[in-house]
Amino acid sequence: MKLTRREFTAGLVSGIAAPYIIGSARAEGATTKIGMCTPVTGPAAEAGKYATGGAKLALEAVNKAGGVLGKPLELVIEDDQTTNPGIVLAFSKLAAQSDLVGFLGSIRSTQVHAMAPDVLKLGKPVMFGGTDPNLTKMGNPWLFRCRPNDSFSGRVIADYGVNTLGKKKWAVLHSTDAFGTAGGKALSEAIEKLGSPSVLDQGYTNQSQDFTPVVLAIKQSGADILGSYFTFENDIGIFARQLRQLGVTIPWVGSPSIVNVTALKLAGPALYGTYGVADYAEESSPASKAYGTAYREAYKVAPDNQSSWTFDAVTVLAAAINKAGSTDPQKIREAIIATKKFPGAEGEYNFDDKGDGLHGYNIVKNEKGNIVFDKHIEFTD
Amino acid sequence: MDLALQLLFTGVGIGAVYSLVALGFVLIFRATNVVNFAQGEFSMVAAYLMVVFAVDLGWPYWLSFLLALAGMALLGVIFNLGVYYPLRHRSFLPVIIATIGASILMANSVLAIYGPQPQVLPGWFDTPGFQLGPVYLDSQYLLIIAVTIVMVIFNFWFFERTMLGKKLQATSQDKEMASLLGISVSTMIMITFIYSAVLGGLAGILVAPVLFVSIQMGSTIALKAFAATIIGGFGDVTGAIIGGLSLGIIETFGAAYVSVPYKDGFAFLVLVLFLVFRPQGIFGERVAEKA
Repeated sequence: MKLTRREFTAGLVSGIAAPYIIGSARAEGATTKIGMCTPVTGPAAEAGKYATGGAKLALEAVNKAGGVLGKPLELVIEDDQTTNPGIVLAFSKLAAQSDLVGFLGSIRSTQVHAMAPDVLKLGKPVMFGGTDPNLTKMGNPWLFRCRPNDSFSGRVIADYGVNTLGKKKWAVLHSTDAFGTAGGKALSEAIEKLGSPSVLDQGYTNQSQDFTPVVLAIKQSGADILGSYFTFENDIGIFARQLRQLGVTIPWVGSPSIVNVTALKLAGPALYGTYGVADYAEESSPASKAYGTAYREAYKVAPDNQSSWTFDAVTVLAAAINKAGSTDPQKIREAIIATKKFPGAEGEYNFDDKGDGLHGYNIVKNEKGNIVFDKHIEFTD
Repeated sequence: MDLALQLLFTGVGIGAVYSLVALGFVLIFRATNVVNFAQGEFSMVAAYLMVVFAVDLGWPYWLSFLLALAGMALLGVIFNLGVYYPLRHRSFLPVIIATIGASILMANSVLAIYGPQPQVLPGWFDTPGFQLGPVYLDSQYLLIIAVTIVMVIFNFWFFERTMLGKKLQATSQDKEMASLLGISVSTMIMITFIYSAVLGGLAGILVAPVLFVSIQMGSTIALKAFAATIIGGFGDVTGAIIGGLSLGIIETFGAAYVSVPYKDGFAFLVLVLFLVFRPQGIFGERVAEKA
């Protein structure tokens, strides 16, 4: 048989293309896919490992319960390099895959800000963990937060200090970066609303090697309670030690970093007896406890908010797609917004129309290095 | 008054750390006429070596200390052979850039091995400190101040009273002349790098229990130490000590009496004032002669 040039070319092309076409068709039909931007490299690579662990745990649970739209759920991961350009690149790679129906963004607000314009352009739901209150006020309908925002943490610290501990004279200490300034401001405003304006509002620069002047200022202010927003754990460690060495023993309620595993390791006994706001507290609800048990069993490490928010993000997103009964982005969006009284690891999800799922924080206490749940403070306004 | 005394103690303590790192800068500058921007990373690497020996392997503290310093001496040799020696006949610029490259390599190598989380290194003493009248004396800061005093005396004795010290000085002042007098210039430079690495390492090990062990610890201290050498007079050993101590005291008092967020600003404001009005630093005559 003589093969013409045209037949040869056609045969060659179909030979090369066929496996891809068949594979692609099979792939499109076989699973429902979601994308995830997470730090695999860079300074938060360690935290990225926990985030991926939480998401994979949720993936297993979703698939065990029947998957999404009758198909197994699949997670496609891209490295965000812990940088803003990194997450923009990672998200653009994921966005180019038309079969991805939803995404997980970052726990860092600055990265969510960086990717937000592309999220708006793509028009598909993105779950994220950054706590800057502005992220859900920018008019971007595709951003959904799976952690409480910082306006709630300030209010919870103030509420607990004034109404539970009965203290009135506040020293507010915060980092001068974007997170610390916004947090310090939210806390000062909340304290003022409760009728006891702070006696000291003190900023400090990140990576300070010495906090003696700060501790002496707190001592001299006559404050009977300290509220803090620290960004870096080594700053908390140095400050806590110097605070105790210089004899300051007033109650201290801090932002989530005060109960971070690294901060506890660095500061040791200097943080005993302090309180912190925590979005994830293992004893705060049956769902949180169940998640904690499953996470410990799977990874042999203690669960924290780095993994709990991704677990919730995958669970909420999967439930919303199932409820929507379709992968149409608008229908998924409506289903997420309609999510109410949904028990997650971080707390009970009641999404508002801005995209905030949680509206309160847990207060936990450091009892000789063990983080013990104290109470949950929820806001409805 | 009580407040001022407490601030003075802390200022001298933190200033002593800057002084120790600044000494390393000065010694290498005097021997090679280049600024070693990896000096801060020497401190960081030594602190991590201590974590490996004393914490991870659980070896006795004194043995870990000696092994970490021995490791730093080895790093000094590698640094000299790998970074300075191949470029020794080039102008100062390629060497400076090579030291910056080496500092990035060291920081990222430690990051790759140890990860980004800061580590805890216990101090020399079980007692964290004690109260003396109105002032709380942190035992680690006391140790840092004591070691700095010892190192100042040792440096004076070594450079002024020993033949090796004099050979090192001769090499730093005029390499050609030293060579003509039979001094092995390359050996002297090798010894300078070893000594600087050990000195930087000593500072890192001493400060680690106070500031914790992290990838960034070296660069933060080195920046201040570099400012201290300029204030003291670049190339002058006494200047490095005085510059470091002054910087520590100025920033501590500035933070307490003017503004905490601008603490680093005071240090660099002093640096700018010196660069404008007295660029040769406090003890600058010898540098002017050398230039």
